[in-house]
Amino acid sequence: MTGKIIYEVKNVSKRYGSVVAVDGVSLKLHAGEVVGLVGDNGAGKSTLVKVLSGAHDADGGQIFLDGKEVRWTAPRQALDAGIETLYQESGLAPHLTVSQNVFLGREKFVKGIFGWLGFLARKDMDEEAHRDLEEVGIAVPSSSRAVSQLSGGQRQAVAIGRAVSWAKKVIILDEPTNHLGARQAGEVLQIVKAAKAKGLGVIFISHTLPHVLEVTDRIVVLRLGKIVQDAPTSLFDGDSLVSMITGTITELPTKPTTSKSK
Amino acid sequence: MTDSKQGTSLGGRIRATITEQTSLLILVMVALVIVFNVFSDGTFLSTGVFSTILTDWGALILLAVGQTLVVISGGIDLSVGSTVSLSTVVAGYVLVKVMHLDSSLKGSDAWGALLIAALVAIGTGLLVGAVNALLINFFKIVPFIATLSTFGAAAGAAIIISGGMPLQGPNDFALINPIRIPGIDPMAFDTGLLSPMVILMALVTAIVGLYLHKARFGLYTFAIGSNSFAARAAGINVPLHTAKIYLISGGLAGLGGFYAYVRLAGGSPSSGAGMELYAIAATVIGGASLMGGIGKMWGTALGTLILFTVQSGLLMAGVAPDWKQIVVALLIAAAVAVQTLQKKNGMR
Repeated sequence: MTGKIIYEVKNVSKRYGSVVAVDGVSLKLHAGEVVGLVGDNGAGKSTLVKVLSGAHDADGGQIFLDGKEVRWTAPRQALDAGIETLYQESGLAPHLTVSQNVFLGREKFVKGIFGWLGFLARKDMDEEAHRDLEEVGIAVPSSSRAVSQLSGGQRQAVAIGRAVSWAKKVIILDEPTNHLGARQAGEVLQIVKAAKAKGLGVIFISHTLPHVLEVTDRIVVLRLGKIVQDAPTSLFDGDSLVSMITGTITELPTKPTTSKSK
Repeated sequence: MTDSKQGTSLGGRIRATITEQTSLLILVMVALVIVFNVFSDGTFLSTGVFSTILTDWGALILLAVGQTLVVISGGIDLSVGSTVSLSTVVAGYVLVKVMHLDSSLKGSDAWGALLIAALVAIGTGLLVGAVNALLINFFKIVPFIATLSTFGAAAGAAIIISGGMPLQGPNDFALINPIRIPGIDPMAFDTGLLSPMVILMALVTAIVGLYLHKARFGLYTFAIGSNSFAARAAGINVPLHTAKIYLISGGLAGLGGFYAYVRLAGGSPSSGAGMELYAIAATVIGGASLMGGIGKMWGTALGTLILFTVQSGLLMAGVAPDWKQIVVALLIAAAVAVQTLQKKNGMR
């Protein structure tokens, strides 16, 4: 039940000096669709994520949101347009509390003159952050606790919860299940499914291929900065996906490979 | 022993309270006052030595307040001491050489000139802050090196502009002398703590402290020091906020320059020399981490007061002034050791 095209890039490139990290990539994302983005280390996944999230300005190409061309020069613009990103490098500030992280960049102020002077409504944000995270299915002991005091799984949950609760159109998740136990990873996949059901477009980047095969509708394979395959997830299996990523095959078999010698 | 047991046991709670930096600082402060009072036969609190030190070094608290913002954001500002010297000299230069005023203008008659001195000094400080921000944001020079350059440049400029001599100008000593409170014997209670300039410094500290801990400005400062990537990803304009922090640090140093002008009745080119290190010391003793993301204005205020206490106490106890540096060094080492201990506790 995927809808219209919500986010699209056409022929985008990004260079770092003489290194071409992303080379003429075109990609479509529909509302209510989960697209898996896979590739080996150095394939350009994280760079593409940064272009999509507004952290990097692309060197060339076009970006369309809801059919309108956009150009991001700062993450703020993408955030305001409804695109949330979970970065592989921690996107949380460890010294801040859970709710300060959830509301970072979107603070609520107290009423009246003190609010106008920039004073924060801390209690309101604590309560609201707790509610928002619960709504997404994340139980955090206390939203006024510093993120540095949470476990790795809880931190990841807060980061994802923040992205899902703020996203209006698109969520980009870079390695959301990395370093998580099986149960916590399962919870993350549930959150992804819930976001999809809400009609959000989700870009799911992961090295954990079983998670990619489980949660995505379509898989895009990047190699050396270029897209080498873009096909429905049902056409892939573990073997063909690995071969595609490493480059040992360049064409998908017409049917899913069943060559598991047993 | 499990975590929860340790957390609720009496020993655990006592340790948590003691390692809480603020309570530790108050403890240190009280201990110092008691020790010094004993050493000085009970005269430490009443002789006005503390208030004299406070008056002499009053600008330091302004520098420490600015430094706290900078350090929490993960930076450092070495230029603040020289900025005091430069801004006090520029203020003196404008009044004496440009407006041709001299020290015959006294008392409330000098207020107009002093207002100009204040504006010129703060403006000079802001200018140094702007140069720091430019070097750090635009030329991508690390704060240590950027502010080391302005440290040298401002100190040199202060000497060149003043010709190496203090520029004596109009002044009103009532601004720096204790307010006379009817019915209170100045010998019994150290009324030097209550000069208009000291009250102004306390107000500035309180206001910046509120903005640091209760307002969005402070939240962004902590966020940038904690994880600048996360701050940027959350949509914070990190270069702009960083620029504001160095501007504030420079502006406060400029106000410190005005303070020095009022205390010395003119612009003296060496009035801020060495202050940057004491400002950093006060900030670190107060619990701020030079790695960024951690710090308290309360702690910095207490850290500054501890420095004043040590200085005046050693003076009264008749210890050679050179020992002061060793005591301050020990305090810094102790503060950092406590931080490491806290980190270990927190991670367990």
